[in-house]
Amino acid sequence: MSTQFTPVLTAVMKQRGVTGCLLVDESDGVIIDSTLQFGMRGNVFAALVASLYKKTRQSIGAAGMGEASLLQLDAERGRVFATGREGLVLVAITDLRANSGLVRVELLKARERIA
Amino acid sequence: MVDEIRRLSDELASNPGSHVFLRLGELLRQRRALEAAERVANRGRERHPGLAAAHDLGARIALDRGDSAMAAEAWRSVLDLEPNDVGAHKGLGFIAYRAGRFKEAEEHLANAAKADPDDTSLTLALETVRQALKDGAPARPARSTPMSTPAVHTRRSSIGVALFSDLAEGAETVLLVDKDGLVLAGAAPGVTVDRSAEIGAHLTGVSEEADRAMRHLDLGSWTAIVIEAPEMSAALSPVGDGALTMITAPKAVPLGLLRRILTRATDRSRAWFDGNGA
Repeated sequence: MSTQFTPVLTAVMKQRGVTGCLLVDESDGVIIDSTLQFGMRGNVFAALVASLYKKTRQSIGAAGMGEASLLQLDAERGRVFATGREGLVLVAITDLRANSGLVRVELLKARERIA
Repeated sequence: MVDEIRRLSDELASNPGSHVFLRLGELLRQRRALEAAERVANRGRERHPGLAAAHDLGARIALDRGDSAMAAEAWRSVLDLEPNDVGAHKGLGFIAYRAGRFKEAEEHLANAAKADPDDTSLTLALETVRQALKDGAPARPARSTPMSTPAVHTRRSSIGVALFSDLAEGAETVLLVDKDGLVLAGAAPGVTVDRSAEIGAHLTGVSEEADRAMRHLDLGSWTAIVIEAPEMSAALSPVGDGALTMITAPKAVPLGLLRRILTRATDRSRAWFDGNGA
């Protein structure tokens, strides 16, 4: 089912190496819209990354560094990017082939369109 | 300090027009009760718009809250009232430096040095900024300069600060913290006091959440976290046994450079652990 956010997610998915893109409610980790490769556990992913993003935002704020605008987590088999705005978290999952710089730019552009 | 805050609050309540809000706001700021401090400062500024110290208090609170734009606005109000105010020039110089506006930083610090020629720390700060201008790249603020201390307090040095002393290359903070968020080495001068312990404790929470997420996601262990904020970036990397290397840097420092510093600091932390640590 398409939503008003589907074009935003699709634009991110076009980047090489992006295997999933989700828009998640930060407060409860519930998916609002998503585009995922077959087999990915979107619900689990959404809840965990929303929680991680929320914790990051709170920690950065508490540390006096202002509002977190983008989180990038590198792991052994892939990367996770998350950016938020007005209670929504936009998440991209990539494999190790992805160009981090391009994904970052595309996510920050998409962030401006999700409010 | 709590008793003093209570006493000053009572005094302010009985005499709202007094200048006691300056002391009360400053004490609240030192206790990191920033919302309360901001309320006190705002009410003081409303009552005393022509009092430079009221705007200065608001600026320092705003900076502690991470709102450089508001801090700069307040310090500009100070300069409208007191054009030679050293603290305001220092603060604006610090903000400009962190944003990579070195020319503007130099102008403010030069004005501060002119107003207070006996302050040798201003000379050091000017040297740092002029070096940055010459290099065309962000330079590390000298630890003893006032660029990171526009307010009135001094910093402490973290034990083990020397471990990363040659690594900064623009980073403000390079820390090694243990699994409980306690600082093992490095320093974070921050704006008013050395906040390494505070930053370490808060960012450890991020790594714990990442550990939790990684247990459920098919991505293996996490190797680095990079966080961008409007004026700062932070990066974390696990060292082993729950310890982390943490770096913060002004936004002007490119992310690629931040990652390089993180890699080098993490390698050094691991070597330190192997040789001295746990």
